[in-house]
Amino acid sequence: MTQAVETSQRVHPAARMYAREFKTGQLSRREFLVRSTALGLSTAAAYALIGGAPASAMAHRRTPPMGGTLRIQMEVRALKDPRSYDWSQMGNITRGFVEYLVEYNADGSFTGVLLESWGANEDATQYTLRLRPGVTWNNGDPFTAADVAANFEGWCEAEVEGNSMATRMGSLVDPDTKRAVEGGIVVVDDLTLQINYPKPDITLIPGIADYPAAIQHRDLIGTNPLDHGVGTGAYRVASYEVGVKAVLEKNPDHSYWREAYLDRIEFVDLGQDPVAWLAGAEAGEFDMNYETVGEFVDLFAAIGWEQSEVTTAATVVIRPNQNNAPYDNVVVRKAIALAVDPQVCLDLGINGQGILAENHHVCPIHPEYAELPPITVDKAAAFALLEESGHADHEFEIISIDDDFRRKTTDAVAAQLRDAGFRVTRTVIPGSTFWNDWTNYPFSSTNWNHRELGVQILNLAYRSGEAWNESGFANAEFDALLDQANGIQDADARRKVMVQLQTIMQDEGVTLLPYWRSLYRHHTPNVINAEMHPKFEINVHYLGVAA
Amino acid sequence: MVPLGGQQTGNAMGQFILKRIGTMLLTALCLTFVVFFLTNLFPNLEKLAKTQGNARMTDAEVLRWLDNNGFGDPMLLRYGQWLGVAPGWIIKDEESGEIIGRCIDFGMDPADAPRFCGLLQGDWGYSTVSDDEVTNIVWGRLLLTGKLMGWVLIVMVPSALIIGVLAGMREGSRMDRSLSTASIATTATPEYVSGVIFIVLLASSTAGISPWLAANGWFEGRTLFLGSARSAMDDITFWNFTLPVMTLALYGMGYIARMTRASMAEVMTAQYIRTARLKGVSFRNIVLKHALRNALIAPFTVIMLQIPWLLTGVVIVETLFNYNGFGWTLVQAASNNDIELLMAVSIVAVVVVLTTQMISDIGYVYLNPRIRIS
Repeated sequence: MTQAVETSQRVHPAARMYAREFKTGQLSRREFLVRSTALGLSTAAAYALIGGAPASAMAHRRTPPMGGTLRIQMEVRALKDPRSYDWSQMGNITRGFVEYLVEYNADGSFTGVLLESWGANEDATQYTLRLRPGVTWNNGDPFTAADVAANFEGWCEAEVEGNSMATRMGSLVDPDTKRAVEGGIVVVDDLTLQINYPKPDITLIPGIADYPAAIQHRDLIGTNPLDHGVGTGAYRVASYEVGVKAVLEKNPDHSYWREAYLDRIEFVDLGQDPVAWLAGAEAGEFDMNYETVGEFVDLFAAIGWEQSEVTTAATVVIRPNQNNAPYDNVVVRKAIALAVDPQVCLDLGINGQGILAENHHVCPIHPEYAELPPITVDKAAAFALLEESGHADHEFEIISIDDDFRRKTTDAVAAQLRDAGFRVTRTVIPGSTFWNDWTNYPFSSTNWNHRELGVQILNLAYRSGEAWNESGFANAEFDALLDQANGIQDADARRKVMVQLQTIMQDEGVTLLPYWRSLYRHHTPNVINAEMHPKFEINVHYLGVAA
Repeated sequence: MVPLGGQQTGNAMGQFILKRIGTMLLTALCLTFVVFFLTNLFPNLEKLAKTQGNARMTDAEVLRWLDNNGFGDPMLLRYGQWLGVAPGWIIKDEESGEIIGRCIDFGMDPADAPRFCGLLQGDWGYSTVSDDEVTNIVWGRLLLTGKLMGWVLIVMVPSALIIGVLAGMREGSRMDRSLSTASIATTATPEYVSGVIFIVLLASSTAGISPWLAANGWFEGRTLFLGSARSAMDDITFWNFTLPVMTLALYGMGYIARMTRASMAEVMTAQYIRTARLKGVSFRNIVLKHALRNALIAPFTVIMLQIPWLLTGVVIVETLFNYNGFGWTLVQAASNNDIELLMAVSIVAVVVVLTTQMISDIGYVYLNPRIRIS
């Protein structure tokens, strides 16, 4: 067995290699941080390696004054077992008391929260997680490796309905028993846990930084945190009314392992209509929002609120489903791709608030992104292809949800296809029913959130037979290459595989993916550390209000 | 005609009220069954499973979720369970041996749980979207809507009556024409139009008259009124409650004013008014002492019938101004297919509508002795 590498003891050789690449200009600062911290380097150590002052995410944060109340406009949804959380908003509220092992920062790096450090062996099959000492649960129990092991066991229970952590655990889940593999989770001592993957996996750290990975007490796996309120965080729930308001207040009976500033945080739910959010902002009903969308970015700026922007791998895909004719024909799919100019979708769909993409699901901010030749748009050639396929008379029905940018982007696609000579109808389905059947619509648009590594979404949405594979894409070569990429920790080496994966996605016309979205948040000038996060995360422990 | 004695009137009235309550129960039963039927169609159950489980569940997971949560029984049987005439469902987990059931609360020993737990046993059920007992939700929300409707009635009724009387006392005069035109305009403008106009005009710091007033230094603060009534849920102020109240009140005001005007105009042409005028009674005294009482009989019924209408207006206004009352709850329950909350909301609506009608009928008898209940 290869020797596990510990953050605190030794720098992973690959991280040194990344540092060299950064210095020679092959890596951006962000890419360097994602890759080296995913291998177990602390953010400060990563910065030290590239000779920079530790201008880490932590250092960017200001220290707010103690006390105060902050009101955040955000949907308040019914909570449930964190493993089955399907909205970041749920995690944002419970993050005040059930915390996470690792945290993804807006600059692309990872910081330990309940973990003090972590390390991976050479081929990314064995991870050693070191817990932060001195952390206690608010019921008085000490936080130990047994807690973390119990959570890992719970995450691996693939049969629990809606448990999306099972997918994130990858090969740690035994496909036969639908539970963790034998010997996969080993408690070494009270503060050390070892994770042994049957095959290489580089998505462990990003996976456990995601919002369904909230760490529950060892005896409370699978329960709703609202029912018991047990956690390691500084806050407790004072009131919770779904669709209306949730209030967190500082827990006076618990000594938190670090500082938390605000006394009270109110999450105000003003529904899903941005008009109501603006009216609420004008009426002074809240101090910061969860997200500002579309034209409201300018409107919120106009009423004097401060803006925070982050570019992400969040996007919308307009994909044909290959289980439906005529989209099983690759010529038809290529014709569609050839007829649609991403720039038009970017301009009409999201007012140009983002960067162009290339019809494959790997974003330039992903460390392993490989640059491909620019895509071509040729409407005449597209129609010629369509005629060649024999489907020129087909009536293309494109479905979207009835909601802002997804609808507009899909409209832009439909208009461009019509320009090219396609016969197109547009169907708009209300948000309440759209998700009933989202993976099976023959041709529809879906929004996807940001993921930290390029391979993550490919594993979730494009591997054959996956639950979220909405394009019906099933390609043995693609799956094999993806397996290969999942085992390559060196992003440059992985990029050679990514070139092939990205090219297959383009050649097969798997999906239209016109742009990567920037995300915006607004807040009043007195709010501190409310910067937008690529995954919409709000950590209430950092927030504060200026006196 | 033999005048009715007090005893007989009492009996007739008692029978009338009993009959009305019977109608109410029957209506509630029919309506809840229709609501139950619609919310339990399979696509709606599928939606429920996905909002409760995970928005991106597969079909097999949906079916498993539905079976595990008691939606596997036939619809009529489940309606009986909700009503409390059929025993609640019980499911035993094959693997863990854990027993869950409709009547078994979290942490309760299955042996102690009652067999029946429906409406008849006083159990209104569980709101899936709010993750709470329906009774905990509905009463608080009703109270909020009660406050809103109370203020609307306080503003609407006196001003509508004054406008109607002023317009009706001299039919065809300039005052009548202008007040009538205004009444028709407000009645013809639905809440979702007037509400938006009010917000743009009075509650925006970038449009309407607020920035203009602020630029002239005539008032302090961002906007003249608040375009969101969220803060009114805790503390009602003139500032945050004016717009929702005005939006609702204006719509009903025009209608009641028109009715009052018609009634007033008719009374003003009656013989006894002409007699009074010939006797030299001043116009002011004719209106206040002789005409007014008779003219207010018709508007009374209209006002009572306006309350059910207010209930529908509340749905729009509460959603527009983000005031989380009864109307907002109805929208939320419907859009999330929250079955038991929706059922409770329908029952409350039936009771409110039929009770106000009953009050209107009874009140009419006392105001107008010519009408008798038989």
